[in-house]
Order: sequence, then structure tokens, then C-alpha cells
Amino acid sequence: MAEEGIDVLVVAGNPWRSDYLRFAADITPVEGHAFAFIGREGPARIIVESPAEAARLRSEQAELDVRWSLSAIEETETAIRELGQLRIALAPLAAVPCRLAMGPLAAGIARATALLDRLMLRKSPPEIEALRRAAVLADEGYAVFRKAARVGRPEYALVAEVEAFFRSRGCPENFQILGSGGREVRGMHPPTERRLAPGDLVTTELTPCVDGYYAQICRTLVLGEPSEAQERVFSVYNEALEAGIAAVRPGATAGDIAWAQNKVFRNHGLGDYVTSEYTRVRGHGLGLYVDARPAVLEDVDLKLEPDMTLIVHPNTYHPEVGYFVHGDSVRVTPDGCEVLTRTARRLFSVPLV
Amino acid sequence: MRRGLISWSRDEVPPSVLEGRVARLQEQMRAAELGVVLIYTSFARPSAVAWLTHFVPYWNEALLVVLPTGAPVLLAAFSKRVHDWIRSVSHVGEVRSAPDLGRAAAAFLGEHLPKPLRIGVLELDALPWPVAEPMIKSEHGRALVDATGLFAAIRQPADEVEIRLARRAATIAVQALKAIPTGTKRASELLSVLERSARLDGAEEVLPRLAPDLRANATLRRLEGDALLGERYAVELSVAYKATWVRITRCVSTQAVPPSWRGAANRFVETVERLNEANLSLEPKNAAWTLETCRGSPPLSIVATGEAPSPSPLPGGSLACLSLRLKLDDGPWLGGEPLILGGREQPSRLLI
Repeated sequence: MAEEGIDVLVVAGNPWRSDYLRFAADITPVEGHAFAFIGREGPARIIVESPAEAARLRSEQAELDVRWSLSAIEETETAIRELGQLRIALAPLAAVPCRLAMGPLAAGIARATALLDRLMLRKSPPEIEALRRAAVLADEGYAVFRKAARVGRPEYALVAEVEAFFRSRGCPENFQILGSGGREVRGMHPPTERRLAPGDLVTTELTPCVDGYYAQICRTLVLGEPSEAQERVFSVYNEALEAGIAAVRPGATAGDIAWAQNKVFRNHGLGDYVTSEYTRVRGHGLGLYVDARPAVLEDVDLKLEPDMTLIVHPNTYHPEVGYFVHGDSVRVTPDGCEVLTRTARRLFSVPLV
Repeated sequence: MRRGLISWSRDEVPPSVLEGRVARLQEQMRAAELGVVLIYTSFARPSAVAWLTHFVPYWNEALLVVLPTGAPVLLAAFSKRVHDWIRSVSHVGEVRSAPDLGRAAAAFLGEHLPKPLRIGVLELDALPWPVAEPMIKSEHGRALVDATGLFAAIRQPADEVEIRLARRAATIAVQALKAIPTGTKRASELLSVLERSARLDGAEEVLPRLAPDLRANATLRRLEGDALLGERYAVELSVAYKATWVRITRCVSTQAVPPSWRGAANRFVETVERLNEANLSLEPKNAAWTLETCRGSPPLSIVATGEAPSPSPLPGGSLACLSLRLKLDDGPWLGGEPLILGGREQPSRLLI
């Protein structure tokens, strides 16, 4: 902040975008808007929307000056005005509400957001440690998922078992989507009432959170013995994942990781399936947000640096077997990368009985 | 992020009910001379769009465009591959891909509103800046007006469909609370049981908060990690079922239930009975309280609380949740239940 000439940074957040607030003030809003006023010495004031949220945050950090207002945005606007001649900046772009951005602070939002983004990209040793623990939890969660995946069970029951496990390990948050079926499945989504059937491919992306930090695992399993086609498809995705991970090193770009994975698909005549018609990204950053920067896409030129963390996942649709996922969390090291995910890279098979 | 069951049962929420809600909004729009109403949704602010269309984003964001006639259009920042899923769980006329929501909205307005008409935006002040900015800077910028009051005017009282969903949500929460094993020692064990029970019962989302040791601290906390449970603890369980949220709070004693708690429960019921649309200012002794309802995009927002002087009006028949904290001689007591607000001179009644 001193280098950027900022006296007070006002950080906005909500349950959807709580990452910047967690980074700047170590708070996680559960409901409503929250705003943190960060001085050069640390968080000075927090404004939230309900007395319950205010009481909770005070109990978590007694030293915080937490206030609440039913009109938290208006209250924040007034508090900003009262700061007078101080140099104030507002961030992040994704969470700043319209009313606060309508004034003179609008021009600086992008720059203040970039400042936070830079700080959040490379992880400190305690942040890496939290991510390592989250990766262990993701591995264990996937073992629970495999055990829960049985013919006849609805998709939502699998998530219930995984959530119960995560809670038993003190994990308050998880991002999880899944898919089940065959060639007709084009992606993943929240769990439905569909019941698992023999021969289904069951995909999932599990993303538990430890101390605010998310790690992810993507795997695909088959209910019953895998078909020859499913095995063959797995080997393509595994080759792509390995190629992507091999490309992770300082100085490489996020685009290089995407290109390495996509090249494998192109070599197998599957180039059409690495486009936005069939897939979103070939991985993404991991941190206090589940889908953090950088997006792993061929046109992203952000250079990797040591202690950046990301998931590499060549997830996409395959015309023979349907949507298929496979991905590991990694940390960039000075000379390559450390794979945080420990679950075997294989096409898991779940017995039918 | 939402990760419970998201599905649309046409039996539980008939398309005609959703169409009726949209028609009421369109009627208000015409009366207010609005050419369009825009409603933002994310998993943090899903409720207005869900009430009109049954769509709940599990992540990402979208903008619902309601024109004076016809079915609403959803501009969705989701990948196109998810559109089939969106259509399967919601009742909208068209789903348009809109990776840059603000620009897509500005372009849509340009296409559909050639004349300068007023554009209503639900909770305009709160609209995320990347969504708002392209519209504000477009030729339509000066036409944007806040439509929060207009939407709130039609949002409550609750219809029978919503009350049934809320009752189901409350039943899921109560069943989860009943599933807590006797002798549970740790918060992690307790929360695991609650999650499992509620999600297996079809909860769309579960939001537990816990005061692990009531005698030490009665603040309801979002737990990361673990905590030992005291002899007395309190659990607040907010549960969504098909986009309808309720909040239930219970105290648990590992010993015999203290007699003072029975008195507290009676006081809770008396408080509910005193509450109605003409009397939203409770004055229970030694108590803190909050009355919440859904009338915008947040799942629950405060109507009245003992900590703020003036309640905002809420009509009889509204679905609401009352949370009460009492200071008893032998320590704090917390209770919370969903209710249907009484009309003028009518008592409110508990939902279950």
C-alpha cells in the first residue's frame, strides 16, 4: 500500500467472493456484504449487514472494530467520506458494489485489485501448508466418494457422504460438482436425483478448504469393469495430465500448460474437444478462491513463479465415452513442481455388488 | 458454493406458479412504467431469481431480464455446456451465454429497448461493479432506477407453494437436529451428522453455526477446525430446500433439560403469538431478537431486530424466521423458528 500510495484500502466481499477479505482481514462472510477498511498497520474497521455476523466476527478476532448496519453499503460510503483527505482505494473489482464505485474511487479499483492479485498469487509457507493439508483432505474425500458410489444411489447421496466426512475433519467449505452416465453427459453440475447405473462413468471435482485455502482433485470412476474404450480414453487424459504437469515450472506461462495438454488431444485426433464448445479451462489457480488466477488457457501469458498453486486438469468431453475428468493440484517449485495430490492416477473401478 | 441437491419438481413448484409470479412483477412494471427489470443472481444472492424461475446458481453469476410481457431471459456467465442443466432446473424463456455479464446486459438493452425507457434493477446499489459499469456507461445509463421496493411489494406474503417448501426445509432441519447422537463430544462430530442427515434428506444447502459452549460464549460461530462441546451448546441450522430458506436454532444440554429452558421455550411461543404485521417491535425482557424474511436477492434479510429502532413493514402471511436470545438466571438460551406472520390483530403461527 505504501508503494502504491494508498493510505486506506477498502476491501469488499460476500459469501461468493470472500477471498480478498480473507486475505486482507482474515474474515469470511457467511451472509450479506462485508467491508474491511485496511490501514497500513492492518485492518481498522469491518462493516457487515447483521448483528449476528458482527458478533461472530468479534468473537473470532476481538481486536477488530466490527460494526453492522442494515444499509452496510451506505454505511461504508459514509465511512469512506469521513476519511477525508486520505488516499483511499477500493477493491476487488468482482465484489465492489455499484454504489461505492459510482464516485471518484472507480478509477482506482482495477489498480487496487491488481495489487491484491499480485500478493495473493505466490503463497507464503503457512499458505502452502494449508494447501497441502487441503490436498490431503481432497485425497481422503475422494476415497469416501469412491466408497459411496454404488449402483442405485442418487448423485446427491454421494455428496452427502463426502460433506459429512469433510465436516468430521473440521472442513467448513467444499466446492463439488459431478456427473454420471455415458456419452450423453457433457459436463458436471451439482448433484441431481439421478441414480447410478452399471457402466456409468462417474466424474467429480472435489475442492475442500483448509484455513480458507482450497485444493482440488478431479477423477473419474466406472461402475463395474471399465470397457476397452473407457480404458483407452483414460490413457489419453492421463497422458495429457502428465504433459500438463511436466510443463509446470517457473518462467513457463499458464498458456504453456494448456498447450501441453491440448497437444496430446490434438495428437490423438481430439483437437475439437479442447475448444470452449466442450471444455472451459485446462486448470486454474488455487488459493482462497476455488477458481483463482490464472486460468489455464492457451492465450494466458501469465508467467509461473515459485509457490504459485494450481490444478492441472484436462477435463473435457470425449465423443466415445462422454465427459471425463482427471486432475491434480500442484505447487510451482524453483525447478519444476510439487504434485500435492496423492491419489493414484488411474481409472477407478467400483464393483457392482 | 451450493453442492446439495438442485432439482426442479414440477409437482412441488408448478410452472404456472412461477409464471404467476413473473406476471405479478410484469404488472407492477407496467404500473411503474418500467421497460425492463434486471435481477442479478449469484450463489450469495440467489433468492429473487430463484423465486421467479427456480434457478439457483451453484457458482458463477447470471442476470435475469424481465420484459413487460413474455418469459424472462437469463443471461448466464456459465459455460454453454451448462445451459442444458440450467434449462432442466429452471423455468426461463431463453438462456443466453454471457461470459461478460455487464456487456451482455448492455447489448441486450440496446437490442430490445430502442426507445429510452426506465430500466428497473433490483438492489441497484449492490450490483457488482463489473456488471453495472457497462450498463451505466451505455446510452441506457441514465435510465437505470432501483426496483428494490417494487420487487419487495410483490415478494411477500408467501404463496402455498413456498410455504410447503419452507415446511419441508424446516422438517429437514429438525430431522438433522434429532440425528445428533447423545453424548456427542466434538463439534466436528455434530456438524458431520447434521450435514449428512440434511443432505441425504434432499437439502439444497446447509449452513450450520454453533455456540460450542453456551456458558462460555453464546455467539453462534462458523467453525473451521474443531471444538469441544460444553455441557450446554446451541446449534443454528439454516437449510435451503428448492431455494427456500429457513433458520432453526436449538439449545442442547448433555444433562437433563434445565427447567429454565422450558420457560424460555414458552416465552418464545408467546413472543411469536404477539407478533403480527402491526406489531413488529418486540420488547421481550433480557432478550436480543431478529426477525428475518426473504424479499429480495438475499435468502434471508432483517425485517426487525431489537438492536435497530424501526422495523420495515411486512404483510401478514409472510414467511419469516424469528431468532431469540434470552439471558436466563442460569445462562443464555437461544431459539429460532420459521413462522407465518399474522395479519393485523392475528397471532403469528409457527411453521411446524
